[in-house]
Amino acid sequence: MKVKFFAIFRELTGTKETGDFAAETLEELLQALGQHYGKKFTDWVWADGGLSDDVIILINGRAIEHLDGVKTRLQPADEIAIFPKMAGG
Amino acid sequence: MAKVLTLAPEKCTGCQTCELACSFKHTQEFRPGASRVSVLTWESVGVSVPMMCLQCDDAACMKVCPMGAISKSDTGAMMVNEARCIKCKMCVTACPFGNTAYDAVEMKIIKCDLCGGEPECARFCPSGAITFREAATATLSKKRAYAAKFKDLLQEVSE
Amino acid sequence: MYGWVGQVLRINLSKETVKKEALDPVEARNYIGARGLGIRLWMKEVDLKVDPLSDKNNLIFITGPLTGTLATNAGRYNVVCKAPLTGAMAASNSGGYWGPELKYAGYDAVIFEGKAKKPVYIWINDDEVEIRSAEHLWGKTVYDTTDVLKDETDEDAKVSCIGPGGENLVKFACIINDYTRAAGRSGVGAVMGAKNLKAVVVKGSGGVKVANPQEFMEAVTKARQMVKDHPVTGQGLGLYGTNILVNILDQSGGLPVRNFQDSGTFPNADATGGESLTAKYLVRPKGCKGCSISCGRINRVAAGQFATFGEGPEYEAAWGYGADCGIDNLEPILKASNLCNELGIDAITMPTTIACAMELFEKGYITKKQTGCDLSFGNEEAIVDLTYKTAYRQGFGNELAEGSFRLASKYGHPELSMSVKKQEMPAYDPRALQGMGLNYATNNRGGCHVRGYMTAPEILGIPEKLDNLVTEGKAEWTKIFQDLTGAVDSAGICLFLTFAIGAPEVAEQLKAATGVDYTVEEVMKAGERIWNLERMFNMKNGFTRADDTLPPRVLKEPIKYGPCKGSVSKLDVMLPEYYKVRGWSKDGVPTKEKLAELSIQL
Repeated sequence: MKVKFFAIFRELTGTKETGDFAAETLEELLQALGQHYGKKFTDWVWADGGLSDDVIILINGRAIEHLDGVKTRLQPADEIAIFPKMAGG
Repeated sequence: MAKVLTLAPEKCTGCQTCELACSFKHTQEFRPGASRVSVLTWESVGVSVPMMCLQCDDAACMKVCPMGAISKSDTGAMMVNEARCIKCKMCVTACPFGNTAYDAVEMKIIKCDLCGGEPECARFCPSGAITFREAATATLSKKRAYAAKFKDLLQEVSE
Repeated sequence: MYGWVGQVLRINLSKETVKKEALDPVEARNYIGARGLGIRLWMKEVDLKVDPLSDKNNLIFITGPLTGTLATNAGRYNVVCKAPLTGAMAASNSGGYWGPELKYAGYDAVIFEGKAKKPVYIWINDDEVEIRSAEHLWGKTVYDTTDVLKDETDEDAKVSCIGPGGENLVKFACIINDYTRAAGRSGVGAVMGAKNLKAVVVKGSGGVKVANPQEFMEAVTKARQMVKDHPVTGQGLGLYGTNILVNILDQSGGLPVRNFQDSGTFPNADATGGESLTAKYLVRPKGCKGCSISCGRINRVAAGQFATFGEGPEYEAAWGYGADCGIDNLEPILKASNLCNELGIDAITMPTTIACAMELFEKGYITKKQTGCDLSFGNEEAIVDLTYKTAYRQGFGNELAEGSFRLASKYGHPELSMSVKKQEMPAYDPRALQGMGLNYATNNRGGCHVRGYMTAPEILGIPEKLDNLVTEGKAEWTKIFQDLTGAVDSAGICLFLTFAIGAPEVAEQLKAATGVDYTVEEVMKAGERIWNLERMFNMKNGFTRADDTLPPRVLKEPIKYGPCKGSVSKLDVMLPEYYKVRGWSKDGVPTKEKLAELSIQL
């Protein structure tokens, strides 16, 4: 599976995307990414035991709020995009 | 230890929030003309610099004042004693930085008084271009940044 | 008065008269300021059917009660007139430093009537107001005009002016203040140009007083803290600017591509986004007066054929010149969008009109004979060249200067104009964001994203995440966003605050500043009042339910690629719901009861 990073996550991970990780669920994937990229990454993604409000995650372009959240099951061909909360206009 | 106002023009976004906060603190209205801090902007190169009195130890304004109306307070601010001031504006002329001014609306000398020890400009500055901190640490980050150049150089040599 | 300074300047350019009048406190209370009050004052005095470019179309520069105070991001003013692009009411909103300066000079607003015989500019130096010749400035760019006027008046004076775009009556010319901040949309610059008014220069030595200083500082401190603590306003926008949105819209499948033909995904969109801009071309972030967000981007392309220096681009301009024109190189995008500021033309309608022309060219409806160049999608030189030519109405630029609707209509294909009420839709595909589509269709000034930013809940999860592909609940949400924006725009503060603060914080700041007992309900009611007043203007100008629509492409042609593949806009489902939520008739006309409830007297 392909994981894409945007904005501050590119600075935290030092990369735009990686194919080095595989997981059954989004939660497992985020934990694996946290172990690899360290505390700052983890602190951005998690808050009070759940997913932080300050992060936006898309799986194949769909926001995980409209899937099964962090419990969403992942397939090998999935693309996961991770953004900080952002806005503009 | 006394705190000092420290300026980092490279961080200034030109928003002039400091001017609004300063004028309101001193006049209870939003009147940039009454602000003790001014932001100067060079649009053609995209640079903004906040300017205010940084409280000289050996201050020209104090030395030139014929009435002895300017003295250093215990917060480290050069203060104008309005009861003594005759508005001769010699201090305005003497300050080499232009940081002591005359407010024609209130008809008095205006300059930074550090807001009695909690400067509003630093409190409201959103970018860290104006900070108020211990004199000893105020220049430390600049020192560290410069020292890092030696580190890089030495590292290169040893590699 | 408090918050408001209480005085309006009225300048008749035909008669060369200058009058100072008291601001009507009842109207001010009901319509707050800036956008709302400006439209109210305009409608009270002008024949609604006026030709936008005639001398009878008043042009109003107007601030809000919070403008120029320490309230959150209170650097804003509006320019109000009837719009040449749309025939609807224009209230174009700009930041920078000019609006606050007008208040320091002692005026909430300047109303321009008539038309000067020869080019003039206005020099407002506190009480002294002069109408001066601008013949030596006619033809000059925004930057040069601003430099010369600062030399001629006061180096600390603030300048709001038109460039060649406004002089040449480009239908989407804007008015630019402080070099780079635009009252951007609907063609307010052409109205200024038609009046032979080159610039309004202001210097003020006075101040703005608030009713309850202590309460005001408490409200301001609280709201500023919320803005600072929010990840968007406290970090993201300052780091990357609004152009950070390219990637998330692309990844979500909502990025319009090649005049909305290939919406969904754009290969190499990332090269045009905020991350790339920050890494390669950002000189420094910039803030408007009193701004703690600093989304402004001072940019530089150091060398090469697209070498440039300026401010921007916002996401919409980067998308317009980028994905919508099939271009994935930031350098020509920066060059062209900086040129828009320099020449005084709208950086949304300009590139989207070029994108429309590119499709006309691709389909063979126009050829090199008209365009003078190979106008294929992806032509990097063409976007720069045509932007320049449009401002001066040279060659094919003369046709682009009419906007995409008139251009496409001329060649028999109005359906290829991606516009609503003749104003081009910005960078969010209505097929991928159902609520944004409803907002475009019902927006009183046509295709517009900043008066009902449904992208916030539909894509960004602010204040909560709504499914972008469903229609349920979108009517209610759209109304709330539109009404809140009406109040925010009218208060004189920046829309971007609403990512972090809501109606309560707006009400608290307004109440403490003005001494008027604004509550959350009052603020939302004022926003609704403003929306309905604008709607009534449109109704009386011949707009009907049939104008609350979207281009046929987004209603009929499904998105071909990406996560929203297969989707079309379901406007027909949402529109009746929206009228109902608004309390309007089934034809979208505000009822007598609704107008009475809102105390709107026409």
